[in-house]
Amino acid sequence: MSIFLKVFVIMVFIFLYSPIAVMVLFSFNESKSLGVFTNFSLKWYEKILANPHVWSGLYNSLWVAAVVTVVSIILGLMMALVVTRYNFSGRSILESIILIPIIIPEIAEALSLMVMYIFLNIPMGPMTVIIGHIAFDISYVTVVMRARMIGYDKSVEEAARTLGANEFQTFIRITLPMLYPAILASGLLAFTLSFDDLIKTLFTTGPGFRTLPLIIWSSAARGGVSPELNSLSSFALSISFLFAIFRLRAEKGAGR
Amino acid sequence: MSRIEEVLRYIRRSRRLKISLLLAPPIIFLAIWFYAPFLILGLYSFNMINIYREIVFTPSLEHYTRVLSWTGAINIYLRSLYFAGLTVILCLLIGYPAAYYISFKMKKYKDVFIILFIIPFWVSFLLRTYAMMNLLDERGLLNTMLMSLGAINTPLKIMYTDVAVILVMVYDYLVMMVLPLYANLEKLDRTLLEAASTLGAGPIRTFIKVTLPLSMPGIMAGFLLVFIPAVGEFVVPELVGGPNNYMVGNIIYEIFMGARHWWIGSAFSMLFIAFILSLVIVYIRKIGERGLAL
Repeated sequence: MSIFLKVFVIMVFIFLYSPIAVMVLFSFNESKSLGVFTNFSLKWYEKILANPHVWSGLYNSLWVAAVVTVVSIILGLMMALVVTRYNFSGRSILESIILIPIIIPEIAEALSLMVMYIFLNIPMGPMTVIIGHIAFDISYVTVVMRARMIGYDKSVEEAARTLGANEFQTFIRITLPMLYPAILASGLLAFTLSFDDLIKTLFTTGPGFRTLPLIIWSSAARGGVSPELNSLSSFALSISFLFAIFRLRAEKGAGR
Repeated sequence: MSRIEEVLRYIRRSRRLKISLLLAPPIIFLAIWFYAPFLILGLYSFNMINIYREIVFTPSLEHYTRVLSWTGAINIYLRSLYFAGLTVILCLLIGYPAAYYISFKMKKYKDVFIILFIIPFWVSFLLRTYAMMNLLDERGLLNTMLMSLGAINTPLKIMYTDVAVILVMVYDYLVMMVLPLYANLEKLDRTLLEAASTLGAGPIRTFIKVTLPLSMPGIMAGFLLVFIPAVGEFVVPELVGGPNNYMVGNIIYEIFMGARHWWIGSAFSMLFIAFILSLVIVYIRKIGERGLAL
């Protein structure tokens, strides 16, 4: 019985890793074949890295995600502070307001935002994309921060106040440094969510403003699988991994 | 100067004011950029916005009745439920043994294996879907290997079928099932299992009578975390499905962007959102909010 289970689990791991491994492997394939590996070559990478659209897409993705992260952290922190520190009537309504953006399917959210932009004659471009990303990142940031704030020791703050620090000084010198792991973890999540986002960006972007996922999406939807897209996807994958490693380290730091 | 200080002192003293000042920026942001769009969608769906994009008071349910009497739409709705349901079941059938094995049968390296399980999901959703396209392609590695082994003579046509859509969704959402299950199994009190075996129950009986019922909260959380995004899936059917494999997300997209009928599209979206929210409300009433904590 146990041996069957073991074989099954090994097969699950093969199922999990083989698509990604195959994609990365064939991005180094010399021929255009997707089924037979002929020779090692970097020519597809040379091709995509010489493409200015790839670089502008990466640049757009990065700066959009950076802006989204900063704003989401500030707004999410305000919300998380209220949720964890104060008890007041209407708390359950606030909880619902926070949870709903996580629950509603992104496609409905993205289309409704697009409808509003068009209804109000707001020209679409980088700003509308950033607003769309923030609108659903706030909730994720709040949820992660709240989970991290549960073990927060309030007596340190009280000690600072007793020793004569005013509220502002206490916040800057005590509260913020203590919340640093929570801010880091939720910030990295917000960054990843924005950097990887496709659907919101697809419907709220304007002419000419494309992010990396948008470039991958449009060429996958148009031409299907190709060695060039394999190398572009592997390139994007390595960036995702880099962020994931940062996130894991931040989580370890926060766990301490 | 002293006036400002006075105001600051007042803020410091009033708790309600402090809460309001902290809540105002995020709530106003969400109200404008998340909730107002749904209000406009609602106005469209009740025929309260005309073709000149003016708000008019002509409420009617005609768009809802048109959606509900349109059999094609109902079929796509049912297909989405079927695809999402099958995805959940397959994720459970694959994910439960995996989570069970890691939690119960492994002594060392549990954390390592759970991390190994999560690593493929560091890759974005779009890239995972694309990676599966690569493997399933008619000219792809799967077909080449099967043909050179002599298992098949003509390449399998998996791409652009129901099978492709469901297979890729299982691949994309498996972790959402495994993580809550694993967390649940880890918390399960092992002495109960010992008690069952002391009292004479065999391993299978112990599993069915003790382990499985106790892991129900994990299963329910996994169900919700897989089912909700799966039923509203847009990217997967668009990339690996054909026009015959469309789901709710795709048809809403087609109505808005292809037919440009925002009234019907809005009514369709509102019905869909109502369905998702009612599902979550039933879940929270029955099981509580804890299962939803990410």
